[in-house]
Amino acid sequence: MKLKQGSFLWYLYLDKLYCLLSVRNVKVLVEYFHLLDVHHNNTLNDVLFYHFLHHVTNWKRRQIMIVFNMLDWNAMGEIGFDQFYMLVCILLAQQNHLEEQFIFRHSRPVFELLDLEGELRIGAENFHMYNFLFNIKKQELKELYHDFDVTGDRRLNYKEFKLFTIFTMDKYQERQKAEKENEKRERKRKRLCSKRKRSIRL
Amino acid sequence: MEEKPFRASLGSGGSDTSRPDNDIRNLWTRATLSQSKLNVPLPNVCEDSDLEDGSKARRDSDGGWDHGEYKDSFKQEELEDHSLLELQLRQESSLGSHLEEGDVDSKTEIEMSSSESSLNILKHTPHRAYWAEQQNRLPLPLMELMENEALEILTKALRSYRSAIGRDHFLTKQLQRSIEGLKRRRSKRLNLLAY
Repeated sequence: MKLKQGSFLWYLYLDKLYCLLSVRNVKVLVEYFHLLDVHHNNTLNDVLFYHFLHHVTNWKRRQIMIVFNMLDWNAMGEIGFDQFYMLVCILLAQQNHLEEQFIFRHSRPVFELLDLEGELRIGAENFHMYNFLFNIKKQELKELYHDFDVTGDRRLNYKEFKLFTIFTMDKYQERQKAEKENEKRERKRKRLCSKRKRSIRL
Repeated sequence: MEEKPFRASLGSGGSDTSRPDNDIRNLWTRATLSQSKLNVPLPNVCEDSDLEDGSKARRDSDGGWDHGEYKDSFKQEELEDHSLLELQLRQESSLGSHLEEGDVDSKTEIEMSSSESSLNILKHTPHRAYWAEQQNRLPLPLMELMENEALEILTKALRSYRSAIGRDHFLTKQLQRSIEGLKRRRSKRLNLLAY
């Protein structure tokens, strides 16, 4: 998913540690929500929601309606600001490649969103349906159910899901560390090369 | 910690589309850096631009743009400006005492330094319209971006409404009125820029 460059959401950003918006950004988002809330219900219906997401993302209609049904957790046919805020945080987490951090920091709300039927368990189909939201690849999903389904019922309860978020967070931090070390080595190598060249010229 | 952040509440009332934009825009169009106008203390500027009690109550309850915090920081700014002004006046008076010895060159120097000091005053004294805007509402470029984008989205939504529920449905008319309101605000902004 890519946010449309130059759109209003494109200018917002999440706090990298807590994966939330600042108070100022929330205030601005409230004003934006009010501009779209043309019927003055403090909600957006499915039509307004579709056109909003269609304008700011490159998602297809099917994906947008999946997200709407997921967020419309009261089945009212409308979403309020709470859900809108959550959606914006998810979009920004994806845009800034903070998915692992976001799921780790907000594992409970994410679990409740994925648990469509309210059974306190998530099946692989639920995960697969929403993998475009959190960028979870098929191979990772297989590993997830293989490694973390402790109870063996082929579904994840909250504790198993939480273990998964901790594990992916650890992997993400190791990846970041490895990337930083690679960068340092690369810089050192370049400096050595340039020094050698200078000494050869002399 | 995990659940609480997503319980953001909107506060009272729906969107406040009837805010008078004229006050801030008038400040910007009439704004000059003349000395006389700069002498008006900032709290008076804020009271003048706060015309609607309802919108003020909503802003206070939201607490997003914290008036208390901004007013305290502005009071501090005022004090700093006053102390700067005093320093400059003292400099001028010390230069003035040199004048009594009858030096023509130092006269011109004093004139230059006094004009420099007035420029310094202008630099350090906050621009009324800018600070009034910062206290009471979102920055204009940001509002413009949001309104333009909302206008595009709502115009597309209007087509869907018309095809799904027809032109005469009250929801379609409500959406049309919002779009017209946004267009009117945009044209007002463009007219002001043209002047």
